[in-house]
Amino acid sequence: MVYVSKVGMVKIGRHYEKSPRDLAFEAVREALADADIDSIDYLVVASSLTYMQSPQLDLAAYIGSSLGLPVKSALAVEAGENSGLAAIEVAVNLIRSHAAEKVLVIGVDKLTDYPSGPTYEMLEALYDTESDAIYRIGHAAPLAMLMRIYMEKYGIDRNTLAYWPAMMHAHAKENPYAMLRFAIKPEKVTTAMPIADPITLLDAYPLGDGAAAILLTSEDQVGDHLARIKEVAGAVGMPSIALRDDPLMLEHVAKLSNELNLSEEKVDVIELHDNFTIMGLLLLESLGLAPRGKAAELVAAGYFDVDGEGPLVNASGGLKARGHPIGATGVYMVAEVALQLAGKFPGVKRPGAEKGLAVGVNAHGSSTRIVVMESV
Amino acid sequence: MVLARWWRTRIPRYRLIGAQCKSCGRAHYPPRKACPYCGSTELEQVMLPRRGILESYTVVQSIPGDTRFQAPIIVGLVRLENGVRLVAELTDVQPEELKLGLEVEATMRRIREDGDNGTIMYGLKFRPILGKS
Amino acid sequence: MKVTSGKAGIHGWGGYVPRYRLPTKEIARVWGWPDHQYKGLNVSHKSVDGPDEDSTTMGFEAAYNALLRAKIDPSLIGAVFFGSESKVYAVKPSATLIAEMIGATPETMASDLEFACRAGSEGLRASLALVSSGMVKYALAVGSDTAQAEPGDVLEFTASSGAAAFIVGPAEGAAAIVEYSYTYVTDTPDFWRRAEKPYPRHGEGFTGEPAYFAHIMGAVKGLFKKTGLKPEDFDYAIFHQPNGKFPVRVAQRLGFTYEQVERGLVTPMIGNTYNASALLGLVRVLDVAKPGQRILLAPFGSGAGSDAYSIIVTDEIVEKQKLAPALDDYINRKLEVDYATYTRFRRILTMLARG
Repeated sequence: MVYVSKVGMVKIGRHYEKSPRDLAFEAVREALADADIDSIDYLVVASSLTYMQSPQLDLAAYIGSSLGLPVKSALAVEAGENSGLAAIEVAVNLIRSHAAEKVLVIGVDKLTDYPSGPTYEMLEALYDTESDAIYRIGHAAPLAMLMRIYMEKYGIDRNTLAYWPAMMHAHAKENPYAMLRFAIKPEKVTTAMPIADPITLLDAYPLGDGAAAILLTSEDQVGDHLARIKEVAGAVGMPSIALRDDPLMLEHVAKLSNELNLSEEKVDVIELHDNFTIMGLLLLESLGLAPRGKAAELVAAGYFDVDGEGPLVNASGGLKARGHPIGATGVYMVAEVALQLAGKFPGVKRPGAEKGLAVGVNAHGSSTRIVVMESV
Repeated sequence: MVLARWWRTRIPRYRLIGAQCKSCGRAHYPPRKACPYCGSTELEQVMLPRRGILESYTVVQSIPGDTRFQAPIIVGLVRLENGVRLVAELTDVQPEELKLGLEVEATMRRIREDGDNGTIMYGLKFRPILGKS
Repeated sequence: MKVTSGKAGIHGWGGYVPRYRLPTKEIARVWGWPDHQYKGLNVSHKSVDGPDEDSTTMGFEAAYNALLRAKIDPSLIGAVFFGSESKVYAVKPSATLIAEMIGATPETMASDLEFACRAGSEGLRASLALVSSGMVKYALAVGSDTAQAEPGDVLEFTASSGAAAFIVGPAEGAAAIVEYSYTYVTDTPDFWRRAEKPYPRHGEGFTGEPAYFAHIMGAVKGLFKKTGLKPEDFDYAIFHQPNGKFPVRVAQRLGFTYEQVERGLVTPMIGNTYNASALLGLVRVLDVAKPGQRILLAPFGSGAGSDAYSIIVTDEIVEKQKLAPALDDYINRKLEVDYATYTRFRRILTMLARG
């Protein structure tokens, strides 16, 4: 068994004065503040934009040698927006295979080192640069097209889709690590500035910097663990929305969900990838947690809220309002779910939560990963 | 400076050449080494129909500064007459003229420029069918 | 009417005009010109290339339309000539780009020609020669320009964007056979652009008599003398069209009627497309011409020179007219833009053009 022992997060924001290394250092210091750790077997770093921005290669080694803590070996993992969960997957497998007992996972990315134009240009590389991303699609265009199809196919109006960002902001307001800690009214979403219609500014994640750190350990390691990682599994999807028979269905997510029996078992808390409103809804439907075409209405009715019938979704505020430092986000998700399962999340809580999920994808769903966690 | 990366992919981009799978019969664009539907590597290159309909679209507002003079960038999900779908920019169309089901056809355009002293990437975009807009 | 000579002809023709139009009255508004100062040019609108268009993309579409009409395997094209004075690369051929785009590569000649507005026509003559000699089976001649003009110069009222292309092949199977062609050139500095300069300069009135009129009349009279043909032998007469006034005047002087010129006049509607100017006139005539009709074509380029062609339409034209969009499909597809939009599309706002 693999345990989440310690977690640390930096409040997501515009940390102009801090480098990726500085942010990583802060997250690790917070994670290990009260831990009796004298060395790390393995450091796994999740980052995505750093390679294009800083630029920096062998990132894990440079971060590892800056922590003031002996690190035996270090490796960086890149999987676009899915990098954070990919790093968790690698770390879990290092422990399961007995290659390491104490693995430190750090997720870090900065989105404010460049003006927004060049940043969006770099984010185009989340898509296939040999097909869709030869065009100026930014980050939002393919998802905006899915949102339009969703509204058309299911006859759902724009206002119904506005409840997702409103729920995310309501949650982020209570999360000290969130970037956007204020509530918004659903009607503001529809009339906000368009990013790529029908996506507006309030459907989109903010550009912020962040880092999160998690210490994963084997059961042989003593200590108070926050949660247990039961499963971690990934799947690769179609490289373009154009190649999906049903553009609104993430088949690989559905398949993975079936393999993990997610719709059969009761899930209490979920941190879900909502780079834009539509992706949060499509993931709920592809996972089988909402019927096709019904996720938006369920969200509007409060089904996924803290006192709703369904699992509590994105108590952190999600990518939308907690923030989305691309490669770091998955590490935040696992940290947040672990804190929920330990009853220690410093925000909106589902008391007595026993089972939680972290679900991530890259871009439109080029890859996905699901981490299944349990309370200890 | 971008050279070989744009050069080696030019032919499908210039001529709308896709790949047809000999195993499952499905076609896709741009051509890949293995069929994305069944995994077969028995593929043959085919010219795709240059007309199709718009299945979705969006007007992108946040675009890099060096393409400001092209704003707004309009992106579409196009289903060609043989059923092959692709994501491509739309051109010669105003945002208010866009609608689902709009008939479109391929037209050669500049896609990217490597600054003002580098090479130009050409390729097909889609526009409303001439005489039907 | 019997075809007396001509081993080569036009198997496919195609035109292209971008969607956007700038009214000349809008240019006059911006620069404070009174009506009488520009109305005499007889140009109501000029076509403006969109922000993702250039002489290559327009030339390609004209060539693609010509290919649709020629109905030939593009790999049989043995020469591609691209005539332009607005090439996207000063060094690197546009002809290879177009040859690759249409599928004529790699077994083909390809080069860009420069002779102000006449380079596309030189490509047509060279194509006729290559086909007539048997050296190649088919050749492609393209004239394409996103014409430059200095903002506020009289040239800005007419300089526009468009392309024309012809697939030349053996007389047999051609839609129109070129019976005879003739070229007349001298060293006359009526219009030029120095290397590295963005806009051409011109000699105002000097572009008229010693340049445009002297060379077109020299070429057409030369053709008449060699062939014995007279103005009344032609159903259509097409001249280079720097404005809407000169082609009508040169036609009158040569003894042609307005009816012979009217169909091939495109500049009053879309401005002067430079290398495509007279050639788009030919495209518009071929779109409606009937078997047996005879066409006079006389392009002109500054610097200076003119060609004169006598072209006979064959029975093959009827079917080919339907195989690709007509020029009027493009001319009628129009969206007016204001001067500010035009400066953005044309990247006259140079601070924005920097990557």
